Amino acid sequence: MNPDLILMALLAGGANWAFRALPTLMMRSEPRPGGLLAGFLGSTGPAAIATLFTASILPALTPVRGDLLPVAAGVVATVLAFLPRRSVVAATLTGALVCGLVTALMR
Amino acid sequence: MTDQIAPPGFRHGLLAALPIVMGYFPIAFSFGVAATRAGLSLPEAVMLSLVIYAGASQFLALALVTGGAPVLVAAFTLIAMNLRHVLYGPALMKEAGKDATRRHAWAWAWGLTDEVFGQALGALSRGQRFSEPYMFGLGLAAYASWVLGTAVGGFAGGGALEAWPAVSAGLDFMLTALFLALLLSILSRAALPAILVAVLATVIGTLMWSGTAGVLAGMIGGALAGMVPGWSRARRLA
Repeated sequence: MNPDLILMALLAGGANWAFRALPTLMMRSEPRPGGLLAGFLGSTGPAAIATLFTASILPALTPVRGDLLPVAAGVVATVLAFLPRRSVVAATLTGALVCGLVTALMR
Repeated sequence: MTDQIAPPGFRHGLLAALPIVMGYFPIAFSFGVAATRAGLSLPEAVMLSLVIYAGASQFLALALVTGGAPVLVAAFTLIAMNLRHVLYGPALMKEAGKDATRRHAWAWAWGLTDEVFGQALGALSRGQRFSEPYMFGLGLAAYASWVLGTAVGGFAGGGALEAWPAVSAGLDFMLTALFLALLLSILSRAALPAILVAVLATVIGTLMWSGTAGVLAGMIGGALAGMVPGWSRARRLA
């Protein structure tokens, strides 16, 4: 195995572990309710999920790829499947299934 | 009310990871294919997934390695890409409230990827209690899927999914559907400003600079938007 590759992986992986674990381990007290830090941390989750959804759907919306219809069908199916039972698993699997089916029908 | 609900266990975490597992496998598979095509051996490809365990970084690592970038430059580029993860643990602990425990966080936090964080946070928002066994189950299933997908991809080589475009499209859409479902599960009037700012900042950052810049701009912009009510309250009291 290439030693440079191992060194790069260890440095990047070590930093990943530090980024994911150390802030959790070092957070010793709850932020004051209603305070600036509480507001920041409370909004981090919704902001992160909204960001990741936007970042993941943006490439599919560019006209070059032309995958708009399967993606649109997948989005609608995900929303409709979520509404009755608020199940994340069922909505995710339904959305992916519909996206795949529409792709198959278009070919 | 939530006090009366038993905290979820390891098995519950494994089951909750199903959409992540199904979304990770094809991406890791693609990584395995790309890595072996780039000249890495199968053990080297699997080692990258085991040790780095960060999707976009690993694809970038391939480009840097094959492009002949110096090892330290490559490592620090990869490190900069994952800086956003520093926010995930504290945000999760805040949402967990008095159930927040960190005794084994040194181990389960390794699995705190974007998707695992989103799934855990969504579950807490829906009233589920925080538990470390649940985090282990969620993280372990996702990690196993990532490493296994890489191994299978590296072993199968290129073109394995090319004969199945509909399956490939469905699997490609899995993570988008997961993030959308998670977004619906945490949607509330209070979260709306952070969500709107995050979406806008991601689009602007991506279009003007790059995908990585867009993700950082979205997360930081959205989180800063959440500070506005506390800041205006402090100003009124001053």
